[in-house]
Amino acid sequence: MRLVLLLTLLWAWALAQSPSGQLTVALANDPKSLFMPRAADRTASNVAVQIYNTLVAVNDQGQIVPELATRWSISPDGKEYTFTLRSGVRFHNGEEFNAQSVVATWESGQDKSNDYAGNYSLVKEVRVQNPTTVTLVLDKPNALFLNILANFWALVPPAYIKQVGLDGFAARPVGTGPFRFVSRSADRIVLEANPSYWERGLPKVQRVVFRVIPDATTRVAAVRTGEIDIANRLTPDLVAQLQGNNRVRVVSYPNDRVYYLAFKNVEAGKGTPLENRQVRQALNLAINRPGIVKAIFNNQARLVAGFVLPGNLGYDEGLKPYPYDPEQAKKLLAAAGFEKGFSISMGCPTDAYVNINEVCLSIQRDLAKVGVDVSLEFKTSTAYWSKPRYGAVGAMYVDSWSSTVGEALPRLQGALTPGAYYNTWEDEELAKLIEQIGATTDRAARAALYRQLQKRMYDDPPFVYLYQPVIFEAVSARVQDYRPRSAEEYFLKSVSVR
Amino acid sequence: MRYFVTRSLQSLLLLAGALVLVFFLVRLTGDPVALMLPKEADAAQREAFRQAMGLDQPLLVQFGRYFLGVLQGDLGRSLRSQQANLELILERLPATLELALGAFAFILLLALPLGLMAGMYPGSLLDRLALGLAFAGQVVPNFWLGMLLILWFAVGLGWLPSFGRDGPASLVLPAVALGFGGLGQMLRLTRTATLEARSADYLRTARAKGLGPLSLALRHLLPNLAIPLVSVAGLQLTYLLGGSVYIETIFAWPGLGGLLNTAIQDADFPLVQAITLFIACFAIGLQLISDLLYAWLDPRIQHR
Repeated sequence: MRLVLLLTLLWAWALAQSPSGQLTVALANDPKSLFMPRAADRTASNVAVQIYNTLVAVNDQGQIVPELATRWSISPDGKEYTFTLRSGVRFHNGEEFNAQSVVATWESGQDKSNDYAGNYSLVKEVRVQNPTTVTLVLDKPNALFLNILANFWALVPPAYIKQVGLDGFAARPVGTGPFRFVSRSADRIVLEANPSYWERGLPKVQRVVFRVIPDATTRVAAVRTGEIDIANRLTPDLVAQLQGNNRVRVVSYPNDRVYYLAFKNVEAGKGTPLENRQVRQALNLAINRPGIVKAIFNNQARLVAGFVLPGNLGYDEGLKPYPYDPEQAKKLLAAAGFEKGFSISMGCPTDAYVNINEVCLSIQRDLAKVGVDVSLEFKTSTAYWSKPRYGAVGAMYVDSWSSTVGEALPRLQGALTPGAYYNTWEDEELAKLIEQIGATTDRAARAALYRQLQKRMYDDPPFVYLYQPVIFEAVSARVQDYRPRSAEEYFLKSVSVR
Repeated sequence: MRYFVTRSLQSLLLLAGALVLVFFLVRLTGDPVALMLPKEADAAQREAFRQAMGLDQPLLVQFGRYFLGVLQGDLGRSLRSQQANLELILERLPATLELALGAFAFILLLALPLGLMAGMYPGSLLDRLALGLAFAGQVVPNFWLGMLLILWFAVGLGWLPSFGRDGPASLVLPAVALGFGGLGQMLRLTRTATLEARSADYLRTARAKGLGPLSLALRHLLPNLAIPLVSVAGLQLTYLLGGSVYIETIFAWPGLGGLLNTAIQDADFPLVQAITLFIACFAIGLQLISDLLYAWLDPRIQHR
């Protein structure tokens, strides 16, 4: 009798452990590709990450933790990373995971048709020591290398990818991840739990169905009817409808993205008043950013003091966003010799971001009040970003830059490193500092450099730091343990449904 | 026969024109590589991608390649997903056809009986109702109606799904939203044509023979209405096929309209070209068929 009871309990426990239920997630657009080197939009990578594993991963606290590599060491010169690989892991098609998978990932990732080819070709050589030891060789130290591995190097099975080719692989991806690919059609992607997943007790749901619903209003309607469990990319006015609805809860978090007004000291910006530091400080004071956040974003955005955001490595809490002070702005302009103001052109990407036209018009109005006459050039995003150095978009322009690595480095490099495709502000001192950050693998040392950089970018601002957006999502009350991250990333392996 | 040949030749010419127009128009909008690659990509990666996609060639060379491809039935590959465009289109075509036919059926089933009745009894309550509906059909924007329908029937009443294509129930709301505008037009047309025919000699004769209103409508009125109705129906079906971009987007209906919408947003030139060409083919083909049908129904047309 006791044995029967024990067996029943054991059986019930096993049942509770095995994955169950279906989770339905809305996607705002059709994912570009489920092959990680081509998954160049957040929607695509959010589906793809469920299928794969990486050598190392970033946890909820932003730390690098082991995944398919159990440990690793970095050579003193910061160029060689040696990984010990987890054994006994198999791909969804039965292939064994080993050092050859790392080689295949590196080789297939570099293909010229891949959006993110650069994140693979930065490794010059992959040295296989034995089936469970592999060394990746860089030609120069890279502070973000482990982050790049965690974000992009989704391990692929060598025999399968060779057999089906990249396009074939993208159509039917195979990984070692918590969910395996079942099907993809024009309006949905279906994944199911990987029964032999190596992390015990995961995943928790049996089936994940992603449904493509481009219209945000429809996404909210569908989460209200219970047809879907998670809807993201919503606006504050839409989630307001959900107040008092006990079947749906609203999740909001600041996005790791900065909107800014960039100044140029090259091309159209050369020789303009923008080259004067006091003028740039004045413009920072003259734009009513609290007003923009309040009136245009209904307070659902945050003011920022620089390119390094709260939560980013090395964030300096001591720096406060520039206040709105048009009187002080006028004084600074006068001190710089522009008491009568000046005229300047400004670009605005008309269809690229939420409410961006209103933001641009509001900047134009504010600057007029301190005597700066702004001529606005609205351009569609394709035209806006089609020229390096934004040749066609005025002496200053509105832009935004996100980061997926928990640090501001990608946007700093992109906007301020000479030779970067969209670099329009040349400042040798800043560029040197950023280069130094990029080559410093020690986190504490890097954090200190970030602080130094923020102070410098605050006192002598190359931009007007406008705001950081807040992301809204609607989640059904039956969903447990859903924790999206500030780069709009989510991992579904520990999510369960009631 | 001669009519058939000249009409077909005209259609081909129109198609070639559409092809040239679409190719050069989309290229006026900017550089697709800027949107395709991540912002961090450097100049060398951009150039390599441009080459891999054939975008580094002069425009005329690109056009020549495109044109030759089209002649061989090759509509190119999507820049974004790198899948064959024809494959993407064919995958989504059934959904678009289903939606268009659903909307068309909604229009015919409501407009024909209602229009006939309204025309036969002008000034009646039914007539006023029909006119009101026709008016609403012409002034209510379909995307707005779509949102209202979702709020009423999916969120409020819970009768129908709010989005997607999962069986017949999910077709109802998008088909009604898409067909509502056409309903107004068809309703007015049927009503007016009936009104005009009411005083025609053949109807007076039929009535004198003692035929009831139903057989009058079905046996005498309808066949004579066929000619104007067929030509308008052809136009409407074309509109339904090409004009469903908003409705497909709102209802997350996996058809060509939604695909075109994202292709335009992503500056996916080859895909935009392929879809537009495909829809143009459809439109021109339908127009040709309805013209030929028209000529067959009314032989006088061929000789004009």
